[in-house]
Amino acid sequence: MEPVTIFLNGREVNGRPGMTILELAQQEGVYIPTLCHEPQLVSPGAACPSIGACRICIVEEERTGALLTACTVFITPGMEISTDSPRVLERRRSIIELMLASHPDSCLVCDKGNRCQLRRIAAELGVGRLGFQKVPQTATIKENNPFIKRDLSKCILCAKCIRVCQDLVVEGAVDYFRRGFATRPATFGDGPLEESECTFCGTCVALCPTGALMEAEPAYRGTTANVIRTTCPFCGCGCGLYVEVKDGRVVRTIPDKEDPVTRGTLCVKGSYGYDFIYSPDRLTAPLVKVDGEFREVSWDEALSLIAGEFNRIKAEHGGESLAVFGSSKCTNEENYLLQQFARCVLGTNNIDNGSRLYGAAGLHGSPETGGFFSTNSPLTALEEAEVILVIGADPTASAPLVGYAIKRTARCREAKLILVDPRETRLSLFAELQLRPRVGTDLALLNGLCKVVLDEDLADESVDREAADFAAFAESLAPYTPSHIEEVTGVSHQELRHAARLFAGAKRAAIVYGNGITQQVNGTGALKALSNLVLLTGNRAAVYALQKESNSQGACDMGALPDFLPGYYPVTDREARRRFRDYWGSLPGTPGLTFPETLREAKAGRIKGLYIVGEDPVSSFPDAGYVREALSAVGFLVVQDLFLTETAKLASVVLPAAGFAEKDGTFTNFEGRVNRLRKAVEPPGQSLPDWQILLHLAASMGHPLPYTSPREVREEIEKLVPLYAGIGYGTLEEPAPESGAPERGAGEAAVYRKHPGGTPRLAPVLNGAGPPKPHEAYPFVLLTGSNLYHFGGGTRTSRAPRLRKFSAAAYVSISEADARRLAVSEGDRVRIVSPAGEAAAVVKTTDTLPEGLVFMPFAIAVNPVSQLFSIVLDPERKSLLNKAVNVRIERIGSDG
Amino acid sequence: MYEELRAEVARLGLTDVEVDFTGCHGFCEQGGLVVVEPEGIFYTHVGVADAREIVDAHLRQGKPVERLFYRDPVSRQAVPRYHEINFYKKQQRIILRNCGRINPEKIDHYIANGGYQALRKVLLEMTPEQVIEEVKKSGLRGRGGAGFPTGRKWEFGRNVCADKKYVICNADEGDPGAFMDRSVLEADPHAVIEGLIIAGYAIGADEGFVYVRAEYPLAVKRIRVALEQARARGFLGKDILGSGFNFEVQMKEGAGAFVCGEETALIASIESRRGMPRPRPPYPVQSGLEGRPTTINNVKTLASVPVIIERGADWFASIGSEKSKGTTVLALSGNIANSGLVEVPMGTSLSTIIFDIGGGILNRKRLKAVQTGGPSGGCIPARIPHTPVDYETLTMVGSIMGSGGMVVMDEDTCMVEVARYFLSFTQAESCGKCAPCRLGTKQMLEILTRITQGKGREGDIDTLFTLARTVKETSLCGLGQTCPNPVLSTLHYFRDEYEVHIKEKKCPASKWQRLPRRPLRK
Ligand SMILES: Cc1cc2nc3c(=O)[nH]c(=O)nc-3n(C[C@H](O)[C@H](O)[C@H](O)COP(=O)(O)O)c2cc1C
Ligand code: SF4
Ligand code: SF4
Ligand code: SF4
Ligand code: FES
Repeated sequence: MEPVTIFLNGREVNGRPGMTILELAQQEGVYIPTLCHEPQLVSPGAACPSIGACRICIVEEERTGALLTACTVFITPGMEISTDSPRVLERRRSIIELMLASHPDSCLVCDKGNRCQLRRIAAELGVGRLGFQKVPQTATIKENNPFIKRDLSKCILCAKCIRVCQDLVVEGAVDYFRRGFATRPATFGDGPLEESECTFCGTCVALCPTGALMEAEPAYRGTTANVIRTTCPFCGCGCGLYVEVKDGRVVRTIPDKEDPVTRGTLCVKGSYGYDFIYSPDRLTAPLVKVDGEFREVSWDEALSLIAGEFNRIKAEHGGESLAVFGSSKCTNEENYLLQQFARCVLGTNNIDNGSRLYGAAGLHGSPETGGFFSTNSPLTALEEAEVILVIGADPTASAPLVGYAIKRTARCREAKLILVDPRETRLSLFAELQLRPRVGTDLALLNGLCKVVLDEDLADESVDREAADFAAFAESLAPYTPSHIEEVTGVSHQELRHAARLFAGAKRAAIVYGNGITQQVNGTGALKALSNLVLLTGNRAAVYALQKESNSQGACDMGALPDFLPGYYPVTDREARRRFRDYWGSLPGTPGLTFPETLREAKAGRIKGLYIVGEDPVSSFPDAGYVREALSAVGFLVVQDLFLTETAKLASVVLPAAGFAEKDGTFTNFEGRVNRLRKAVEPPGQSLPDWQILLHLAASMGHPLPYTSPREVREEIEKLVPLYAGIGYGTLEEPAPESGAPERGAGEAAVYRKHPGGTPRLAPVLNGAGPPKPHEAYPFVLLTGSNLYHFGGGTRTSRAPRLRKFSAAAYVSISEADARRLAVSEGDRVRIVSPAGEAAAVVKTTDTLPEGLVFMPFAIAVNPVSQLFSIVLDPERKSLLNKAVNVRIERIGSDG
Repeated sequence: MYEELRAEVARLGLTDVEVDFTGCHGFCEQGGLVVVEPEGIFYTHVGVADAREIVDAHLRQGKPVERLFYRDPVSRQAVPRYHEINFYKKQQRIILRNCGRINPEKIDHYIANGGYQALRKVLLEMTPEQVIEEVKKSGLRGRGGAGFPTGRKWEFGRNVCADKKYVICNADEGDPGAFMDRSVLEADPHAVIEGLIIAGYAIGADEGFVYVRAEYPLAVKRIRVALEQARARGFLGKDILGSGFNFEVQMKEGAGAFVCGEETALIASIESRRGMPRPRPPYPVQSGLEGRPTTINNVKTLASVPVIIERGADWFASIGSEKSKGTTVLALSGNIANSGLVEVPMGTSLSTIIFDIGGGILNRKRLKAVQTGGPSGGCIPARIPHTPVDYETLTMVGSIMGSGGMVVMDEDTCMVEVARYFLSFTQAESCGKCAPCRLGTKQMLEILTRITQGKGREGDIDTLFTLARTVKETSLCGLGQTCPNPVLSTLHYFRDEYEVHIKEKKCPASKWQRLPRRPLRK
C-alpha cells in the first residue's frame, strides 16, 4: 500500500492509509492529549475509529482552518496538521475549563491523585484560574458494595465505562441517562450498582480517566511507581494484569489492554480478589505438629524432618507407599519439579493434581479415540465464529473472559449462539436457541445432533462416506432418532433439527465446553460424541475446553499425572522414559494412583506418606468426612500452602508457600497460552515459593535437583516437552533486576504452546444408560456450578476481604413450581438430603430452572454442597463425578 | 365540522356535492377553513353551527356567506376568493402543491392530480444516471437544513459499491414550532413516498425508511395508509410497474429527541440504539444504516422530486435565486398578523414575506428582528429588511435557512431573552455526548440567564464569545456546531442591548418580555 504523506507541524511524515491523525502523531512521537479515546474499545470493523466525545484531541487543518479531532479523522494525502497552534491550544483550554467548571474542587483530596488525566491535561495546558462560573453536576449515589464507588460529579462523560460495559464485557449495567447537561452514565433506573446487572468486573474503574469511578475500599490512595506485569491467579482464562506495588505491597491490579484474552478487562476476582495474599491467615513459618499442637520451626528443622520421614518410608515400604498431590494453582515449573520429585526422589508415579476434581486430568490420552479433543484455537478465533455451541458450561461464571467473548460475538458480530443448558444462565439472553436437556442426557443429545446431520445430508464433503468406520458410525446412530431424543432428553425434535442445521450450516463454528460435561457420568462418551459432531461438519470448528483453575492445563501438561510424563508420554512407554532418564535418572514405569485412589488406599492404611502442595481436598472434594478420615490415616502428611487450610490442619508438617505475586513462573491457560507470572513483592515471613521449597527438600533428601531458578526449569521443559518446544518458552522474558524498575510492557508476556496433535476419527459412542430414572426417595436432581465471586474450594476467595463481604449465604435455587409444591418460599431454610449426605441452605426461587431441577453453586465461604456428593470415579477417566446428584428437600422448622 | 357538513349535505339531499377533508392549508391564524370548489370561495373561522349555514345558504341556495369570508388584516376588506388573498397570492406552492386540495388518504386523488406519473417516467424511460442528472440540473438542495445539493448527494450514493443500500426520509422535525414536514406528510404523503422511491431507484437502494416523529400521530397514520395503498397499487414491492425495480419502505417512529434528526443519530435510532450522533466521516453515504451506504433526505426535498421530473429541471431551476433554486416553505410565527405556513420562491425578500404575505406586525408595532432557521438559526435585524431568503444570504448575515422556521419579533422583544430562549432548548436537547456542547451550552445559558435577570457581569460578553466559538468549532455534530448562532448573531447585531443589560441592569426593550413558549417536546 502506498504510504500517505501529510505535514505534521510543518514536517513531512508518512503514514499507512487508514491511520488516524492521532495514530500517526503517536508514531511520530508528537503528543496529542486524549480523554475519551481508548483503542481497545473500538470494535473491529466499526465505522468510527473513536467516539470523539471529549474533543480534547482537536488539531487544526491549516489549509482550511478546520478543527479536527485527531482520534476520529483518518489521514489523507496533503493534509497540513498543526497539533499546537494557538487556536488549538485556546480551544483545548476552553474545553478543559468547561470540564473543571462542572467538577468539584476536591483535587487535593481526591484518591485519583496523579492518575487523574483531567488534572494532568489541565496542568499541561496551563489551565489555572477558571474563567467560567462553577456549574456543579450533582450526582451522588449511595452505593453499598465493597468494590466500586461512584462520584459522578467528577464525571467528564468520556463514556469509557459505558462502552466497556456495553461492548467489551457486555454486561450492560450502565448506559447514558438523560439529556443535555444532566446526561450521565447510570444504571437502569439510576440505582446503585449492586441492584444492576453489574458484575463488578472493575474494568470501568480501571479505565475511568477521573476520580468518578473508584475502588470502594482502596488499599492505597496514591500513585505507585512500581508496576509489574503478571497473570491472574484464579481461573483458567489466565488474564494478563499489572500489579501496582507500594512499599512492598500489592495495592491494585489493572487489566492489560494489549493482552489478546484480557483486552483490558478482568472479572471481579482479578480486580478485587488479589488481596487474599494479605489475609492475616497467611502462614509465615514452617509448622510441625507436636502432641496435636502446631509449633513454628525453622526451615532446616522442618526440611530435615520431612526428608528423614520420606526416606524412611521409602526404604521401609517402597515408593508405592508415598504419594504426591500437585496443584492446578501452582506454576508449570513447580508442577514439573514436583512430578520429578515424586518420580525420581520418592520413586513413585503416585502423583496427581487438583484438576482431577473437575475432570480435566482425565481428558488426556488415546488420541485415536479423540481423547485429545481439547482447545485447538486461541480465544480471538472465537470472535470470528458464525455459530457458537456452548455445552456444559456457564462461562459467565466459570470463565468470565470467555463469557465476554461469547457475548461480544453474539451481540456485536451477530453470531448465533446455541446454548445447551438445563438452566437459564446469563448467556440465555444472548442465545439464538437454547436446548434444555435433562441432566445427564448430553451424550444422547449430541448423538441426536449427529444423526440429524447425517439424515439431512448436512455432513461436510470431506467426510469419507466409503470408509469402513463411517458405516459403523452411521449404524451406531440408528436408535438416536429425533423422536427418541425428544423422549430421552426432553428437547423437541424441532429444536434438535434447528440446532443441527445451524451448526452444520456454519462456515466457521466454535464449541465451548466445560466441566458440565466432563464431571458427569459418561463424560468421556459425551466428549467423543462432540468430537464426532465436529468431524462430521468438516473438522473446522474452533474448540475451547474451559479450565477451572489458573494452571489446570499446565499441571497436566507438566505430567503431574499418575499415568503420564510431561507432554503426555505414557509412563509405560519405555522409549519415553529413557528420554527423561537421561536428564533425571531412573524413574518408575508402572502407572500410579489418582488422588481419589490414593485416598482409598490411604484409608486402607497402604499410604504411609503424602505430600500435598497447594490443594485443600478437605474443602474442595466431595464428602469431606471421608477425605478427612483418609488423610488422617496417612502416617506422615505434609501440606504446603498459603494458609492453614482444613487439610493442613491434619498435617504433621505444614510448609508456608508464596502467593502468586510473590514468585516467578508460568501458567498455561485453557487456550494453551503460556503466561508469565512475575514476582512483584516478597513473600511474608519465612514463606518461600513452592519451587524453592521443592529444591530444598530434594536436596535435604540427598537427591538435589540441578536447577537454581524457574528459568532453568523452563529451559529443560523446552528441550524435553515437544508441546513447549520452539515457542520461545525457555527464554520468556526474565524478572526485573533488583532495581525494581517498572516492567510495564517489557518483553514477551506470553507465548502459545503447541496444540497436541492426534487424528481423531469418527467413532461410535453408545449411551448405555437411558434417561436418569427419577428416584423415589430423592425426587430432585441437584446441579452444581460455579459462582462468579468465589472460586474452587474458596481457600483464597474466602480470604479476600471484599469478595467475602459480598458473598451470599449458601443458597439453593428452586423453580417456582417446585417451591409451591414444597410449600417453601424465598428465604426459607431447607435441608437438602442426598444418598451421600446432607446440607442446609436458604431457598431462592427462580424462573430459570425447569421443575425437578435445583441448583446450588459451589464455593461459598463455607461450602456445604460438597457434602451431598460421594467420591465416585468415572471408570474410564478416573475423574470425579460431582456435577449432579439426586436429592430430596425438606423444610427446616416447618412452622416457618 | 367535517361530520356536520356531511350530515347537512345528506339531510338536504344534495347529490352533486362531495364533502371531503384535506390536509392543512397552512393558514393557522384563521381557524377552521372551508373551501368551496370550483369557485374557490374561502371561509375562515368556521364553527360547527356555521357549517350548517354554509351548506344551506351557499351550496343549496347559491348565496355565499359573507359573514365568514376572510378579511385582510391590513385593509379589513373581505376577500372571498382563495387566490385573491394576499397570504396566498404571493406564494408559489410546489412542495405544498396538493396541500388542502386532495384527500391525503385517497391515492386516487393524488393520482388524479398527476401523482406517480413521475415514478412511471423514471422507471420506464430513464436510467438512474439520467434521474440524477435531472435533479442536479434542477439545482434542488436539501430542505432539511444544510442545503446540500440533492443531485450530488444521490450521485455519491449511486457511486458507492455495495450489495445493499438504503434511503431514508427524515421526517423527525424536532424544531420547536416547525410543522412544515408534518403538513406535507399529513396533506400529501404520496408525494414524499413517490420521491423516496425515485431516490431509491436513482441510488440503487431497494429499501427505504420513513423516520417520523412519534408525536405526529396523524402523519404516522397517513404514511401508513399511503404505504399500504402504494403497495396495493404496485408502486412498492417487487418489479414495480414492470420495470424490474424492487423497492420496499418501512416506517420507523422516532424516539422523540431533536438530535435524532441528525443523520447519524437518526441511523442509530433506527438501529434501536440511543439516538446519538457519531463523528463523520465516515458519512452515512459511505457507512450508514447497518454499515451500508445510506442516503438521507428531508420530507420537502423528496416531495419536490416528482414535480421536478414531471415539469423538468429547467422549469424548477427558473424559480428561485442564483444558487438556491425552487421554493422554500417557511413557518411564520411570532408577532405577525398572518402566522402559518408559506411557500415562496427562494430569494424572496424578508419584507415581502413579513409585510405582504404575513400582513405585517401585530398591534401596529415596529419590526425589530427576524429569527430564521429554527433553534440554531440567527437573528436578522430589521435594518436589513430586503435580505433575500436563500441559503447563501442567510448564512452571510449570520443565520441559516435551517428547516424554515421564521419568528418575527417586534420592538418590545428582548434580544438577550431571545438568545436565552433558543439556547435553553438546544441545551436541553443536547445529546450529552460531547463535552463542548453538553457543558458549553449550559455555561452560556447560565450567563444569559444571569444577564436577563439583571445580574450580568463585566466580561460576560467576552466569555460568551469564547464559549460560543468553542462550542461552534469543536462540537461533534450539527446541533452543537450551530446552537451558538442565536447568541452570536444577537451579540453581533444587538451588542448594545447586552451592554445595557449588564451595565444598567435594565432591558432597553420597552418591557421585560419573555418570548411566548411555543410547543416544545414533552
Ligand atoms: C440537530 C439536528 C437536527 C436535525 N433535524 C432534522 C429534522 O428534523 N429533519 C430534517 O429533515 N433534517 C434534520 N437535520 C438535518 C439532517 O441531519 C440532514 O442534513 C437532512 O435530513 C438531509 O436531508 P436533505 O439533504 O434533504 O436536507 C438535523 C440536523 C441536526 C444537526
Ligand atoms: S464515570 Fe468515568 S469512565 Fe464513565 S463516563 Fe464518567 S469519566 Fe468516563
Ligand atoms: S464493573 Fe464491569 S459490569 Fe460493573 S459497571 Fe463496570 S464494566 Fe460494567
Ligand atoms: S454536539 Fe451536542 S448533540 Fe451533537 S454530539 Fe455533541 S453533545 Fe451531542
Ligand atoms: S480523545 Fe479524541 S475526542 Fe476524545
